[in-house]
Amino acid sequence: MTTSVSSISESSKFPDSQLIVRLENVTKIYGQGDIEVRALNGVNLTVEPGDYCSIMGASGSGKSTAMNIIGCLDRPTSGSYYLDGVNVARLSESELAKIRNLKIGFVFQQFHLLPQLSALDNVMLPMLYAGISKAERKERATDALIRVGLGNRLNNRPNQLSGGQQQRVAIARAIVNRPVLLLADEPTGALDSQTTQEVLDIFTELNASGITVVMVTHEPEVARQTHRVVWFKDGQVVHSHLKPEDLHNAVF
Amino acid sequence: MNFIEQLKMASATLIAHKMRSSLTMLGIIIGNASVIGMVGIGDGVQRYVSEQVNSLGPNILFILPGSPEAQSRPVYPPQTLVLADAEAIETQVPSVDEVAPSLTASQLMSYRNKNASASLVGTMPEYLSVRNFDVAKGRFISDLDIQRNEQVTALGSELAEQLFGNENPIGQQVRLKDISLRVIGVMKPKGSSFGSNEDLNAFVPITTMANRVVGRTSPYGIQVTFISVSIENQEDMKAAQFQIENLLRLRHQITDEDDFTVRNQKDIMDILGKVTGALTILLAATAAISLFVGGIGIMNIMLVSVTERTSEIGLRKAIGASQGDILLQFMIEAVILSAAGGMVGTAIGVSGIWILAALTPLEASISPLTIAMTVSISGGIGLCFGVLPARRAAQLDPIVALRSV
Repeated sequence: MTTSVSSISESSKFPDSQLIVRLENVTKIYGQGDIEVRALNGVNLTVEPGDYCSIMGASGSGKSTAMNIIGCLDRPTSGSYYLDGVNVARLSESELAKIRNLKIGFVFQQFHLLPQLSALDNVMLPMLYAGISKAERKERATDALIRVGLGNRLNNRPNQLSGGQQQRVAIARAIVNRPVLLLADEPTGALDSQTTQEVLDIFTELNASGITVVMVTHEPEVARQTHRVVWFKDGQVVHSHLKPEDLHNAVF
Repeated sequence: MNFIEQLKMASATLIAHKMRSSLTMLGIIIGNASVIGMVGIGDGVQRYVSEQVNSLGPNILFILPGSPEAQSRPVYPPQTLVLADAEAIETQVPSVDEVAPSLTASQLMSYRNKNASASLVGTMPEYLSVRNFDVAKGRFISDLDIQRNEQVTALGSELAEQLFGNENPIGQQVRLKDISLRVIGVMKPKGSSFGSNEDLNAFVPITTMANRVVGRTSPYGIQVTFISVSIENQEDMKAAQFQIENLLRLRHQITDEDDFTVRNQKDIMDILGKVTGALTILLAATAAISLFVGGIGIMNIMLVSVTERTSEIGLRKAIGASQGDILLQFMIEAVILSAAGGMVGTAIGVSGIWILAALTPLEASISPLTIAMTVSISGGIGLCFGVLPARRAAQLDPIVALRSV
């Protein structure tokens, strides 16, 4: 254990404790015996603070599984995962819930807003589980919505908002608990090209203000706007620091 | 996440799905209303019956012809009691206060062009005090009437009303099949007890009844249908019953099975108490089943709701809800549904009982204890039937849940 930790830290510009994500020889196996599927097979990956990184790869390459593990929605079968310096691979279900609540912000392809709640209430939801007082919830949620440009849509229900606006509410919800990592799973997959750009601009702005962003996508145009591409193939990372401008040469 | 916030969130969810929530509650509402209603009715019946028994008169014994066993047979037992038995009881049993033998028959009674079906009761003056009865107008049968076989009658209030309307019946002649009777009095209203309306009775001297109306005697004297006996002191009831039984066995020369039955008020109360108690349990059990079915309804809808809200549950977990949070959320929803249903059902049940008490002689009532019990039971039902759906929701894998849209 200690040897592998030191070997990783050597390759990093930052000391261990400052890495946001460090996957260390992570394996994920679904099923048993004959139907055993190795979704991840010895994945090593680090994400530094302030990184803007996209994860790409074909269907079944393991990028979604990696995303789930990074997001603490799933636990690795073996290996270690340090999130913000804490090994979360063996944490209990309720401890993971707490980590998801406070350290990670999720943005999904399908937005996943609660239809019966207003934009403000949707954004306040993570703080509800964090046990933050009502006045502070309201203030922070309002700020987050203003930050994504929806200051005038606080009380609209999701069905009164366009797809791009809904995704912006989801982004506000993701950043409202001040997470160390913003995780986006195909965030523009359900949007047209113009709203895609609007949403990507928000990600870029958030990253510029210091938020670490990891984004799973299969669209090269989206990946090109990030700073770094991680390429998955057959459950392994084949390129971990691909420059977006090299994307075409390296992969296609 | 604190409990108050959970409570607010659950109520908001339930209000957002008004139709589904109210339909789910309907089962519990009906269940609760029927439990309350049925227990109230059962209670009312019990109360009514004991009032009826008490209205028979205090410290009273009834002597009926036929063995105790024969009482439960559908045919009338042979008329084994005679007037002389009643006289013997009065003179030979010391604790007895008064004795009122009765000989009954139904006949059509008419006055001018009006007819009424009268229950003729041939009896003696003691009937009044033994049965807690009183005249409103005129007088009751006297000893002289008995001696002289007088053709006189005291009419029950309702019978008098039917035959005479607003006219004063005193001194008028009413006709029976074979004879006519002079009305000497009208009784105060008493109401019905055990299906026979005492206000439709016509009281006739027992001698007149035996000799001129039914025209039936036996070698032992005038036959009677039953004998009512009042006892001086409540404590002597048992002794009096024992003495009367022995006396009658001696008089009837009985060696094995009695040909008469002595009933006291407590016996009657016990028998009826058993019947009405069983009735209450039956009603409450039936209602409880509907409450149970209501609980299953809640479980059903909650299970559907979990399936419907899979992606919501996944999202909540992704943004930090623990299994406990989700479990609590769905449990609270189920308990709110059932407790609110319980309260509405209780309100309906209680108002139903009030209406019943206002419209019928049943003084149906419901104790606060019963109300508290049914409301908490229905809350408990929500708790029990909410567990399964809530556990299912809590254990959903967020990855799978998020994928289902």
